[in-house]
Amino acid sequence: MSKTVQLFVTCLIDSLFPEIGEAVVEVLMRAGVQVAIPQEQTCCGQPAFNAGYRGPARKMARHTIEVLEDTVGPVVVPSGSCAGMIRHGYLELFADDPTWLLRANMLAERTYELSEFLVDQLGVVDLGASFIGRLAYHPSCHLLRGLGVDHQPLDLLEGVAMAQVHRLKPECCGFGGVFAVDQPEISTEMLKRKLAEINQSEAGVVVGCDVSCLMHIEGGLRHIGSSVRCAHLAQVLAGREATLR
Amino acid sequence: MRNRFRHRIRNAIANPNLQVALDRNAERRMAAWNETFASLPDVEDLRRRAREVRQHTLDNLDHYLERFTQRLVENGIRVHRAADAAEACRLAVAITQASGATLVAKSKSITTEEIDLNHSLQQGGIRVVETDLGEFIVQLRGEAPAHIITPAVHLLREDVAATFERELGMPYSTDVEDMNAAAKKVLREVFLTAQVGISGVNFGVVETGTLCLVTNEGNGRMVTTLPPIHIAIMGVERLVPSLDDLALMLQLLPRSATGQKTTSYVTLIQNPRQEGEPDGSDERHVILLDNGRLAMANSPLAESLLCIRCGACLNVCPVFREIGGHAYGSVYPGPIGSVVSPGLFGLSDFGHLAKASTLCGACKEVCPVGIDFPTMLLRVRDAYSNNTPQPLAMWLAMSLYAWLMVSPSRYRLAQRLGAWGSRLLPKQAGWVRTLPPPLSAWTSSRYFPSFAFQPFLARKQRLNYDAKPTPTPQRRKRETEQLTEKSQPEDVVDRFSRELEDIGGTIVRCEEGVAPDKVAAYLREFGITKLIAWGEQQPALNAVIHHLRDKGFEILDPCLPRGSGPERDRRMVDLGRAEAGLTGAIAGVAETGTLVVPAGRNQSQLASLLPPVHLVLLPASVIHQTMTDWLREGGEEAIAGASSLNLISGPSRTADIEMTLTIGVHGPGQVIVFCLD
Ligand code: SF4
Repeated sequence: MSKTVQLFVTCLIDSLFPEIGEAVVEVLMRAGVQVAIPQEQTCCGQPAFNAGYRGPARKMARHTIEVLEDTVGPVVVPSGSCAGMIRHGYLELFADDPTWLLRANMLAERTYELSEFLVDQLGVVDLGASFIGRLAYHPSCHLLRGLGVDHQPLDLLEGVAMAQVHRLKPECCGFGGVFAVDQPEISTEMLKRKLAEINQSEAGVVVGCDVSCLMHIEGGLRHIGSSVRCAHLAQVLAGREATLR
Repeated sequence: MRNRFRHRIRNAIANPNLQVALDRNAERRMAAWNETFASLPDVEDLRRRAREVRQHTLDNLDHYLERFTQRLVENGIRVHRAADAAEACRLAVAITQASGATLVAKSKSITTEEIDLNHSLQQGGIRVVETDLGEFIVQLRGEAPAHIITPAVHLLREDVAATFERELGMPYSTDVEDMNAAAKKVLREVFLTAQVGISGVNFGVVETGTLCLVTNEGNGRMVTTLPPIHIAIMGVERLVPSLDDLALMLQLLPRSATGQKTTSYVTLIQNPRQEGEPDGSDERHVILLDNGRLAMANSPLAESLLCIRCGACLNVCPVFREIGGHAYGSVYPGPIGSVVSPGLFGLSDFGHLAKASTLCGACKEVCPVGIDFPTMLLRVRDAYSNNTPQPLAMWLAMSLYAWLMVSPSRYRLAQRLGAWGSRLLPKQAGWVRTLPPPLSAWTSSRYFPSFAFQPFLARKQRLNYDAKPTPTPQRRKRETEQLTEKSQPEDVVDRFSRELEDIGGTIVRCEEGVAPDKVAAYLREFGITKLIAWGEQQPALNAVIHHLRDKGFEILDPCLPRGSGPERDRRMVDLGRAEAGLTGAIAGVAETGTLVVPAGRNQSQLASLLPPVHLVLLPASVIHQTMTDWLREGGEEAIAGASSLNLISGPSRTADIEMTLTIGVHGPGQVIVFCLD
């Protein structure tokens, strides 16, 4: 009997990049697990939490906890920052509310980011994918520093036949949620730096585990007319077209 | 406040010199940071212990403050408590005025910037001169420091050259050595004539009542030694319980701040000048500043009080790298500033700073005491949005957003509206090129993906995957390179010599018996005839001094009259002409090439500070592998027993102009150690 995981797909993937969601399901199934997708899921509440609006964030967090707590098995999230929100953010949100803190804790303990789940929990590093060309891996901040996940995606990329993988510097792309709109000048300067590094890397595709950053980077690449595209790690592992949409 | 912040940000980004300076700072500092931490075997363990020490201190702050105060008083230091900035300034001005002083020499202290002390002193009719090179430059320019460690980080050498030309009448030169020399000349005069010296404190050691200052240029030593009165101003949280804890902090602070294993000088001050001592401040005061710290210790931002002010979080911060220090509008810029400025100076005026962060966590990663910045910044944002008036639109947007998201049907409706909305906007290959305000801020530099007509959750039913065969999981071991040095323990004297030479010192190994001749030969080679030397000490040193006298070298009487007055001024000028200083050392520390040079009876401090060359006699038998070893084997007693003590590591240095290293600023430019086997 194979294991079942609960996929928390994240609102960004659901609403903007459904193809990534499909790739995630495919990857998980290739890794030998059944995928359940709780239908009532929406947004984890991170944007409100990060903007300092904890009241609204708590409402969304409670909703997410309620949707997921009755399910069984690990919760897999194909986004470093959303996984981090559930793992750490919820505990901060409910620090003064023992009942919800307990519920948040139980969820946090069974929540994993996708690459972390594949490598650390399933011990899978080779999913039989291949990619011809050069990939630039973007270590997104919340994944790298928030969850301490770095070698896992790289291990998985190492398992991609024929791909040449280059790890970009662990520098923020300047997204930061509301920050990108609140401080567009700083955000843009940071993005420029990232785009310049991508250009130098001579990679055709930027791959990462956080859709928000990838959306920011690809939005920037398209704005300057670059032909480089971004892809979620799952899209590369599933051997799907390497572009966000 | 917010609008001005935006305005300063735009100006900073549009300033090409500033951008070059900031890029350089980020790149060089982080390269140095990486290199210096690579030489430490267990960084994580060190940082964990440092955090524990600081946390423990904060948890028992009342107790430690009381003990510390008691010790200081026992040591003959006068202690004052200041509840806020105004009180601290009043105290410092009153002490200065009571002494009749009209000139104050100051060494860099961000705490005095916090209370805007210079302004108060000037209003009290007192001239105050900043003596740290970077701080001197920004003072000349009428600016605030742009960084907590490197005040002139925002300037290129051309900027400094123009300032020196304008303010000092120096011929325009972009040669960093020239500029440093010009500043040194002006400041030497200030050191020799100031009646009061004001400094900060890096750490106060509770068990011994020691004030620890960590510096490179030597101005900190001047300011705390030469003027008859020394006033030290420190935040109440800057304590460590013991000397052992201090040794731990000293492993981390210089590495984090400037990428050095240790700074040129670590000054440990215990008492005012004692009977029989040739120099040292006669009167020492400590002002313990609260200014919101104790209140913050009981707030959700308490963790930020762990900070040891190394500045690493600024150097690694991608936002600081774009906008520099001045844009923040607070004496504490960068990540730490975005937490403590609202915490200490008010949420309504500074809370917005916490929003200027992507929460990337690079600061947390480098912080030597592991302050959890993302969490701290989120707490400031939370408090800010709850306690200060926010734009109604933002509040409405957040409420609406939550209302949509807690109901799956409303969420789906919103997705549909988003999809239809995307249709109406100008697009290119499925990406929206322009969004309406306020979201146009996004599309100013990036496209935005349009909403999908069929979201993932709605698609799922259609999925029909063939469950593919599960591959055999292959675990591949990643070889993590061991960066730690795994060599055989090196001979202690060899290690000392290597480290000393690494930081620009010179080592001469010789038999004790030939030391007098060796020293004399060296002096002749440099054309030195006039020296300041320690008085009667160990036989080896005495032998050298007698020999030099016999050979016709002039050995000056280093003893300064107490208090201020013409006699003292005259003597000071005379001592200022010495070409070399000759001292002993009570210990050496091999890991950093450090000399332990105490001040005490017959032990002139000026000998190792004022002249351009410092000669030291160091018996090989007193060299220890590490600082901790030395502390265990008599170091603690030595510190407690000396009225002050300097850990000297190589020549005096600065890198305040464009991070270009210059050797020999205020202190000696040459340190020559005669190691006696
Ligand atoms: S917060 Fe940490 S990194 Fe920043 S100055 Fe303080 S000790 Fe250094």
